[in-house]
Amino acid sequence: MSDMKENLILEHRLSAHPDSRCWFVAWSPSGSLLASCGGDKSVRIWGREGDSWVCKSILEDGHQRTVRKVAWSPCGNYLASASFDATTCIWKKKNDGFESLTVLEGHENEVKCVAWAPSGNLLATCSRDKSVWVWEVDEDDEYECVTVVNSHTQDVKHVVWHPNQELLASASYDNNICIYKEEDDDWECRATLQGHTSTVWGLCFDTSGERLASCSDDRTVKIWKEYPSESGQDLSWKCVCTLSGYHRRTVYDVSWCQLTAALATACGDDAVRVFKEDEGGDPNQPVFSLVAQATRAHNQDVNCVAWNPKEAGLLASCSDDGDIAIWRFKED
Amino acid sequence: MAADSALLLSLVEEFVSGQQDSKAKDTAKGVKDGQFTVLQLVEALGPCLTNSQAHTRARGVQLLSEVLLECYEELTEREVEVLIAFYENRLKDHYVIIPAVLQGLKALTKCTVLPPGSAVSMLRSLFQDVHVQSLMLAERACVYNMLINLMESREVELKGLGADFVFGFVQSMDGERDPRNLLLAFQIAKNLIRRGYNQGKFTEELFEVTSCYFPIDFSPPPNDPHGITKEELIQTLRDVLTGTPKFAEYLLPLLIEKLDSDVQSSKLDSLQTLASCVSEYEHKDLAEFLEGLWTSLRREVFQTSSEKIESAALAALTALTSCLSRSVLNSDSEDSLSAFMDLVLKDCKHHLCEPDLKLVWPSAKLLQAACSASNRASHMVTAAVMPALIEQYNSRTQCAHRRTLLEVVQRFVQSVKTCQSSDSDVNMFSDFREALCTIAFSAISESNSNLQITAASVLTSLAQQKGLLSEADIQRAVDHLCRLLLIEDDDRVSLAVVECAGTLAELHPDAFITTLIPKLKEHMFSEPMDQDREASEQNTHHALRQRCLSALAAVSTQPCVVKESTPVILQVLSSAHKGHGGFTVEEVVQACCCLQRISEKVKDTEETGRCFHDDIIPRLVALTLQATLQGESPLAQEEVLCALVPVISTSCSRLQPQLAAQTADRLVSLFLDGDVSFLPDNSLPANICLLKPQKQHDDSCSQSQLVCLLMACVCSLPKTLEVPQCDRLLLELEGLSCTSLHPLSYTSAAKCFAGLVNKRAQGDSLSLLIERTIQRVCSELDCSSSSVRTQTFTLLIWVSKALLLRYHPLTSAFTDKIFSLLDDAELGPMAADSFSLLMSDSADVLSRGCHADVRIMYRQRFFSENSHKLVQGFNAAPQEKKPNYLKALSNIVSKLPQQVQVTELPALLSLLLEALTCPDGGVQLSTLSCLQPVLINPPQTLIQQLEALVSRLLVLISSAQMNVRVASLRCIHTLSYFPVHEVLPFRARVLRALAKPLDDKKRLVRSEAVIARGEWFLLGSPGGR
Amino acid sequence: MSSVSQLENANPVIFQRSVERLLTASDEDEEIHDPIDNREIFDLIRSINDPEHPLSLEELNVVEQVRVQVDDVGSTVGVEFTPTIPHCSMATLIGLSIKVKLLRSLPQRFKIDVHITPGTHASEEAVNKQLADKERVAAALENSSLLEVVNQCLSPRGL
Repeated sequence: MSDMKENLILEHRLSAHPDSRCWFVAWSPSGSLLASCGGDKSVRIWGREGDSWVCKSILEDGHQRTVRKVAWSPCGNYLASASFDATTCIWKKKNDGFESLTVLEGHENEVKCVAWAPSGNLLATCSRDKSVWVWEVDEDDEYECVTVVNSHTQDVKHVVWHPNQELLASASYDNNICIYKEEDDDWECRATLQGHTSTVWGLCFDTSGERLASCSDDRTVKIWKEYPSESGQDLSWKCVCTLSGYHRRTVYDVSWCQLTAALATACGDDAVRVFKEDEGGDPNQPVFSLVAQATRAHNQDVNCVAWNPKEAGLLASCSDDGDIAIWRFKED
Repeated sequence: MAADSALLLSLVEEFVSGQQDSKAKDTAKGVKDGQFTVLQLVEALGPCLTNSQAHTRARGVQLLSEVLLECYEELTEREVEVLIAFYENRLKDHYVIIPAVLQGLKALTKCTVLPPGSAVSMLRSLFQDVHVQSLMLAERACVYNMLINLMESREVELKGLGADFVFGFVQSMDGERDPRNLLLAFQIAKNLIRRGYNQGKFTEELFEVTSCYFPIDFSPPPNDPHGITKEELIQTLRDVLTGTPKFAEYLLPLLIEKLDSDVQSSKLDSLQTLASCVSEYEHKDLAEFLEGLWTSLRREVFQTSSEKIESAALAALTALTSCLSRSVLNSDSEDSLSAFMDLVLKDCKHHLCEPDLKLVWPSAKLLQAACSASNRASHMVTAAVMPALIEQYNSRTQCAHRRTLLEVVQRFVQSVKTCQSSDSDVNMFSDFREALCTIAFSAISESNSNLQITAASVLTSLAQQKGLLSEADIQRAVDHLCRLLLIEDDDRVSLAVVECAGTLAELHPDAFITTLIPKLKEHMFSEPMDQDREASEQNTHHALRQRCLSALAAVSTQPCVVKESTPVILQVLSSAHKGHGGFTVEEVVQACCCLQRISEKVKDTEETGRCFHDDIIPRLVALTLQATLQGESPLAQEEVLCALVPVISTSCSRLQPQLAAQTADRLVSLFLDGDVSFLPDNSLPANICLLKPQKQHDDSCSQSQLVCLLMACVCSLPKTLEVPQCDRLLLELEGLSCTSLHPLSYTSAAKCFAGLVNKRAQGDSLSLLIERTIQRVCSELDCSSSSVRTQTFTLLIWVSKALLLRYHPLTSAFTDKIFSLLDDAELGPMAADSFSLLMSDSADVLSRGCHADVRIMYRQRFFSENSHKLVQGFNAAPQEKKPNYLKALSNIVSKLPQQVQVTELPALLSLLLEALTCPDGGVQLSTLSCLQPVLINPPQTLIQQLEALVSRLLVLISSAQMNVRVASLRCIHTLSYFPVHEVLPFRARVLRALAKPLDDKKRLVRSEAVIARGEWFLLGSPGGR
Repeated sequence: MSSVSQLENANPVIFQRSVERLLTASDEDEEIHDPIDNREIFDLIRSINDPEHPLSLEELNVVEQVRVQVDDVGSTVGVEFTPTIPHCSMATLIGLSIKVKLLRSLPQRFKIDVHITPGTHASEEAVNKQLADKERVAAALENSSLLEVVNQCLSPRGL
């Protein structure tokens, strides 16, 4: 274990949301900018300047409460932020900064997550009100809610789109994961993935979209794989691997690198860990090994990990201590 | 006279037309000097008093009134009569004139020569022509002052006005809103009530017009120059409302209503007012409200929201019950006490017996509050509850339940103690004696320490009940206490046992003399002599000796006990000296402390005096003398000597002056002449020289260090006793203090010298002595190569203190020398430290306990005479010397009484803020401790420097010194109570900074950080502050 | 987590408050490191006010020292609390107050777990899960009426 630490090298540490917590970070599609959000009600945009990372802009006054998540549109010109104030804010890039374009209202209470579909035409949000909403975007930047799905029995913590199909997945306090597909202009839950024994906090598809990683308060990470459906109707996803025994507390986030297939996790035990699939294994029974970890990555819970989409091995993490850390993952 | 009248006219002209206000003073001076009379002034004013312009008339009257305010004492009765007629008439004039008219009338109310009937006539005009509440604030005050003046001087006349006076006053104050005027109005109302003015049919009006301010809700504006406090208003209004039983029918329902309020301060005020009013009432005043009052009081205790309110409610219940008890004696009507007690018992008694002891404490507290009110109430309550409690205790099995019940029993016994009259022959608890003793003895035999502790306090309370316990009971109790002392190593239990033994021994000494003392002695000297006994066993044995010693000290209050206990302690010392019994130095020191406690507490009788002066002190001196001659004994240790000082000092200051004089005589001849004849040990060498410094420095056994014992004696004598051979003694002491190399020796010599100087009679010989000393001290200190500067400086400080305490005019010669040494390279830091010694009470010499000449407020005096020297010195000092000045300042300021600190500090704030950055931990600490009380009521200047204050405090929370961290956190905590808008901008920064000390390695620091951080979180947060 | 309207358990058993922690010589010794122990944690939470009774959690026996577990070296704190009655709707609020008090009072390195004493409440699991969900706790503390009640529970008693 001792040599592994050197595989995850801290490059920068930014006091991103001082006196508050940093909930989430997201890389822009080009990989040049990093957006963060937190308990100070703001969104901050970070960029590289020479050898260091600086705050390019601060998006304030959009929200009255904590900003829980932030998401870039696939074109990189829009940013969506989800807040405990029950709204989702859409920001548009203008000159060097961002301006508030519109505010999506409708959820009864805290919006927990927002995600853009790969096409850029659809947006999903989810909330403590147990619902998942799908919004359609037209050319005039108008947003219209097309569906409200109530498949979960408790708060919905996270939503994520399939990388190349119009497929949506959500994770919930009810311990389940739901997968939705559009059917006659309506979005329906087509699969419920049961297996976690407590709140599911995060989800991430791999590059192909055939596999989904989930992380949970039950201190495990599960890998789910899609199988051809038997009945033809419902989608069939099965858990093919469970990573247990590595995390000492809640796993808050999981990120699957689109370039290297490394799987990173953010954990309530202050650690960031990286797993890789053993080569040559049975695809129905893959084996993942811990290849790197920073046990004291942050002073407090790590809330989020994100791989840079363009630069292999560049990993961002953020924490309750308000910091963002940028890591370099080096393979042997 | 012609010139004077011209002068008068010109003064009037200049005041009225020329608007020169200063001319009023000149005019008044003219009247006082007899240049012209008041009536001539009126004459001269004639034209303007009849002028058609109201403003001119007003100006004219103003001049007259201002003159009267200065000269009312010079007026004749005739003049007063004319002036009153004039002013009464002017009351009907234009409103702009009224203020001046009222001023004039007020001046006249102060006249001693007021003609009969004029007070009444003035008031009639006033009430008739003036609507007081339409006047300005100052004029209203003027009216109230008139009333107050007249009530002081013309009480009989005013009472002749009958209820009209009350009515007139009620109308005048109706609607008053200014707190200063309210204080005046309440004072008038109080006088009306307490001095027996006839209220006629206006009782309710008088109540209404005052009670509408109840409860007082007033917070003085920041930096209020008038200094009116909420407490002042509350107290004056309370005096009015509670002043007469005639208000009872209105006040009691009002109190019941206000008790329902959610506002804590309003509840508290209502409860305190209730407790105060019932002391004036009789049972018939209360009758119809008893149920309502009881319901409210019960609720405040059953659902208490704060301890303050709970105790106020209990105090009110006690007051109420004693009011009913009082009335019963002179009333043949229905027994309202027993009816009320039935009510209380009905609601409370059953809670004592509920299976899960729900609400047992609130019920017990209520019953005890009622119980403590009177003998009759006690009888009723104890008869009703004791059997139930005893039965409950006996039937319970759970330890926690039994302990609770035992505590309840103990509080009952305790509460009765406070009211039992001495002449009642049968004790209230005699019916329960056997059952209570059984319970107490069974509980003290249990292994549960909580039960043992509670049982000890039950025994204490029972023993304090006169004539309750029998000899056999006491003996049994002593056996139990003895057993626990010997075997129980739980500190809390031994503390309770020692305390109980102390109380019992005072009341029943015999059992302690025959049983406890011999047993303790036997165990203290028993020595498990096994050479390699376990360390833990040694600790156990040490703890046992410690318990025995504290028990011996606690039981020794009666002379007969002292006669038995002190030989045991002396035996400890002599065994230790001889190396027997394996006593450690620590145990020897404890034995000395034990003797000291006895000398402090024992009754001052001939017998105890002889015991201490003829036996104990000579033996102590002999032992220490032998010890220092031999050098190996623990009794030659400095810490043992220092522990003996208070024994001798207390004995000489409080036990038998004649015998103390004899002790002084003996010690002086021992020290001056080597006379050892009074010492019990005849193996001592003759002609020993105790006051000569040893040639060779040897700190373990310097004989001269025994001078501390001499000091203990001669500096503690009552002032009436002459110190023998004082001049010779002073000379020797001065010599020793300036030459000895041994710190305890030269310090004790300096202190002894100072103690004698302090009490020496004023006169030439004292002045000469002082001058000689200052010369010697200065020449030694000014010689930088001197090897005894430290010694001389020590003498300087102590003599300064001796003189400062008695306000001696030559004090400043000494203290100025200390100030000048703040710049001294070698002695500067010591000089700065010395101010702490100068300003604090010292224990063994120069204290009131040693009958020293200590004037009150010597600290304030020193501060006000010298603070500017420090400020100047600070400004002039080179950078590296500045800390000495800051340290000196903080040493002085931190010892000032808080009241003085709060008023004096604003002027020194910038220096204090500077002192916070001084690297010296001691300076930081004393500065913080004097800042903290100032922060509670921050002056404006401080709020303006908030940024500097916060930054400096936040730095200090990482100090290496624990007490600095604690003190700075306390200050930061206090900052959270500053006006919210001032401190809110610092919230995030303070919260972040306070996260760190939450993880401090010291628990004391952490807990301060927790409190401070908790308060800062509440600041500006919903539901917080 | 509804607001307080009427007393659910009007007659709770009242327990005596424990005596203040005794100061020892080592507490005043600069050199000695005082570990954070169970009593210290208990002292932090025992004076929290009950949301519906004018009593402290200690007086209601909702918190007890034996139900506090701290590991200073491992930086974990576990507290179990016992609602006065099994259907107490205040349980979440009480748990939240305890959690917030600990969050404000303990070094950030600590992981804090607050649970209901096993077997003492009808909705034990649901309450425990809510209290463990830091996102819900964070959102609750941004709700000013809830924060108000919590702050009142944490305000020092008395005038």
